[in-house]
Amino acid sequence: MKWHGVVLGVALVGGLSVPVAGQKYGELAGCSDEPQQFHQCARTKAKEFNPPRTPDGKPDFRGHWSRAGVFGTDNIEEHGPGLGDPGGTSLVVDPADGRIPYQPWAAAAKAGYEDTHMDPAALCYLPGSPKQLYTAGVNQILQTPDSVIFLNDYTHAYRVIPTDVRPRLGSHVRFFMGTSRGRWEGNTLVVDVTNQNAKTWFDHVGNFFSDAAHVVERWTMIGPDAIHFEARIDDPKVYTRPWTMAFGLRRNADPAFEMWENACHEGNVLRWPGTDLTNHLELYFGARPPN
Amino acid sequence: MGTRPISLLILSLVVSFSALAPVRAEGQTGTYVAPRTPDGQPDLQGVWQVLNTAAWDIQDHHAQLGVPAGTGVVEGNEIPYLPAALNKKHENFANRQTLDPETRCFLPGVPRITYMPFPFQIVQSRNQVTILYEYVHAVRHIFLNGEHPAGPIEWWMGDSRGRWEGDTLVVDVIHFNAETWFDRAGNHHSEALHVIERYTPAGPDHINYEVAIEDPQVFTRPWKMSMTLYRRKDPHSELLEYECFAYKFEAEWQK
Repeated sequence: MKWHGVVLGVALVGGLSVPVAGQKYGELAGCSDEPQQFHQCARTKAKEFNPPRTPDGKPDFRGHWSRAGVFGTDNIEEHGPGLGDPGGTSLVVDPADGRIPYQPWAAAAKAGYEDTHMDPAALCYLPGSPKQLYTAGVNQILQTPDSVIFLNDYTHAYRVIPTDVRPRLGSHVRFFMGTSRGRWEGNTLVVDVTNQNAKTWFDHVGNFFSDAAHVVERWTMIGPDAIHFEARIDDPKVYTRPWTMAFGLRRNADPAFEMWENACHEGNVLRWPGTDLTNHLELYFGARPPN
Repeated sequence: MGTRPISLLILSLVVSFSALAPVRAEGQTGTYVAPRTPDGQPDLQGVWQVLNTAAWDIQDHHAQLGVPAGTGVVEGNEIPYLPAALNKKHENFANRQTLDPETRCFLPGVPRITYMPFPFQIVQSRNQVTILYEYVHAVRHIFLNGEHPAGPIEWWMGDSRGRWEGDTLVVDVIHFNAETWFDRAGNHHSEALHVIERYTPAGPDHINYEVAIEDPQVFTRPWKMSMTLYRRKDPHSELLEYECFAYKFEAEWQK
């Protein structure tokens, strides 16, 4: 957790207008893993690739995976280097300018967060969707005949995505991870996410969504060791139009990898005994959209 | 101690006799054979929960305000504490409102996580049994094809290594810290805790859950708990969220 505080501290004082160098991107399933290029390339590859199957015939995503072409969670838009984040191009692939289409009030609120608030991720809050997919560390995907399960190393967050047909919970219900309802469209897992409490941000600089957000994720394997992930985010309280982020997931090549305990909250409390966190909670809780 | 060889002899006779009888291993009723996963392992998958009061007190207890009375889950009801450890248990009980690690929303350890009053989901793959718990989104990775790392390691939920003995999943857990309790009544252990869990399917919707506890720094001898796990039969059962510390932070912030 110390790391997040340090990263955020630098982001707060460092400014974010430094141009981005492009050399750090690698290759993933024959595509550049730079998010913009990857998104275009992966959509072509997806048409050619026949994924391996689970025993019940679904595309087999099982294994350990890490984000590709995403190097930190300072800022999901284009940004320069900070401590712990070497910078990168925008994960936003639509609109074409790579910017989140905020309503004016929301753009103003977001601009203020960076100077006045800490990223709630430092409290070990669950990441929500789609942040769960681009957090640091190795993740694991498990599958059962009627669900896909995504586990994060960081804060041991998990999400069980049922792929059978089942009703949603009431629209007033709120969870950090929301509720997920999945279905298969050909080789693509499509996941509808609603009911998020929106108490976390997309990144350290305060890009945000509200509890009205409706996220539609699309997960498609484009090679034996590569997944194309995209998320369309519709939130009429915060944005002028729906927008889409996309990036890759790369399989962990170590077959003996084991995910071990990541006791985030416990580490926070024991590292800072007493009331340090609770004395500074006002730094973490951001402005809410107007009712 | 002098009676132990005789006890062992009797025990081995009982075990031998049981092996010949049509009744299956200890803890099972009847001859239920679990369905198999595509990997050929007994299929324990699904959403499960206990129906007991062990979260409050693993021993027999009467009711108090907010605490239902309950029959204990400790075999024989007595926990064989060393004298100093028994004193600590009494202190823990007296000060449980502030000392119980549950009040700080910590990962509750093993086996306490099993009998928290929240559901959990078992998911199986070839080399791993994963248990997802609704309470504080705890996760256990039970590896079937590896050995405990050498340590020293102190984890809240320990390091779990599993194997199949017939239809029974046997999980060996070590590398604990000494921060967790067994219940809200102050029953405790040290970092030398060694837990052996046995999950035996007793029918399509029941698992016999037996736990052997060993901790020579705290107890004079090993002891056991046993209880039934029940499948959540409601249509579309799913795990939701109980983000204990987040609710605490927000309550604190709103003061």
